Amino acid sequence: MRATLNKYGHAFLLGLQSNLIYRWTFGVRSAFSLCNLAVVFILWGAAFAGSPTINGFTFHETLTYFVVLFALQFLVGAFNEDYQVSEEIRNGLINQFLLKPINYYAYRLSIFASARVVSGAIVLIPLAIAIPVLRHSLTLHFVPWRWLLAIPATAMAGAIQFTLAYCFGLLTFWFLEIQGFVILSMAVETILGGQMFPLDLLPHRLYQVAEVLPFYYQMYFPAAILTGRIDHLGALRGLLIQAVWVGLLLSLGYLLWRRGLRRYTAVGG
Amino acid sequence: MNYLQIWLAGARYSLIRTMMFRGDLLVWSLVELFWMGVNLLLIAVIYQHTSSIAGWTAYEMTLLVGTALLIQRLLMGFFWTNLFEMARNIRDGTFDFFLAQPGQPLFMASTRKLDPDGLLNSFVALGVVIYAARQLHLHPSVLDLLLYAGLIVAGLAVHYSILVISMSLTFWLSSAQGIESSYFTLSEFGRLPREAFRGVARLIFVWILPVVVVSNGPARTLLHGFQVGWVIWALAAAAVWVSLALLVFHRGLKRYSSASS
Repeated sequence: MRATLNKYGHAFLLGLQSNLIYRWTFGVRSAFSLCNLAVVFILWGAAFAGSPTINGFTFHETLTYFVVLFALQFLVGAFNEDYQVSEEIRNGLINQFLLKPINYYAYRLSIFASARVVSGAIVLIPLAIAIPVLRHSLTLHFVPWRWLLAIPATAMAGAIQFTLAYCFGLLTFWFLEIQGFVILSMAVETILGGQMFPLDLLPHRLYQVAEVLPFYYQMYFPAAILTGRIDHLGALRGLLIQAVWVGLLLSLGYLLWRRGLRRYTAVGG
Repeated sequence: MNYLQIWLAGARYSLIRTMMFRGDLLVWSLVELFWMGVNLLLIAVIYQHTSSIAGWTAYEMTLLVGTALLIQRLLMGFFWTNLFEMARNIRDGTFDFFLAQPGQPLFMASTRKLDPDGLLNSFVALGVVIYAARQLHLHPSVLDLLLYAGLIVAGLAVHYSILVISMSLTFWLSSAQGIESSYFTLSEFGRLPREAFRGVARLIFVWILPVVVVSNGPARTLLHGFQVGWVIWALAAAAVWVSLALLVFHRGLKRYSSASS
């Protein structure tokens, strides 16, 4: 157990070093994400001008939801892990993992975790700029049970984000180019992950459908727990469904890897 | 030099190439269609809960979003890939290919290929505009329609110029990484009504960066008919931004050093 932890601990530290090289990329990306927050502020500000609440939530509560979502994106969101996996398969770089006692999924997960440590630290900079400006508009109260449940929900959201990206990357075993699939899925995730609007604004039937899909648990679920959009029973039930999705996606990833390797041809000496 | 003939030859080559990869055309058309759907769904959901955004009704907003998407899809269809390839060519020193051609380098580089998926989806965006106009019972005159088309072209010129300036930064910087997402972020402001902007946001996104004007201008022309202020504003913005883009590109070109052996 200790040896295993050591092995992936080293992968994590290597990932940390290589991701620090891209600190400016993360920095630029987080700065532009602030512009996305500006769009949210302007659009929803105008929408709330006609009504004090929308679906029972005030403008400040809705804005808080988007700020939490913004932080979560950098803490647990998958950035380009799908392309990284794809590149390694296409260029034959996975050969080394086939010859060593190392699990490719666990290795990539360690790298993903290190990348999120770097991007999570960098997002503190734009947050430090945004929060003083928005401090009168934010309504994030400290409710112990919400923060307690948000921790596993956020961790599992990260697992779902990464494993989905990993599965898309593995499609390279079958397709030369996965970019189309990735961007197509991004559109679905943007809507059903609650990044365009809080999902509780959907008509009730559609919301119920979204609730059983994995995208709901990628971003909306932890943000909804923290910002009071879900009650404690809903949060507990959600955690259960989220755990099932983590298990299902892990199995899918395992299956794709096993099946994909049967098609894989390693070239070179 | 007959630039039209060159452009037509490039367009023909692009269409033939696209027909060789029909699966790609289908996937990318779907990708763009889905993203347009995302924007329209956002409007539909918000208007489920409110009747007005900055004084604009649901169908007026749909018309505005459709107009902004139309400009963006035309940009993608005609120039997007070319300008991204231009940045890559400048970075790796293979821009010589365009400098050696008997024509204006910026024209040759920006019109080399067409992206039929973007052009196909511009018809979908136009369909959204027509649908919204019918729901609003609009009956624009021929002059209004011509003005709308003219303002769309002006909007396209502004978006093209912003992208040329961004890509020309590669003459000075080693990487244009992040420009793609920054352009998309900027274009999101173009889907909002001008009345929604206040204070500093109005100064930046309405007055300094004209992305709001170039989408609001044509939409207002369809909604309220000819408004001289908007037309002058949009055309002046196009003239200023195209001049600026030419200036930055040619300044940058002087710094270009080939990397060939």
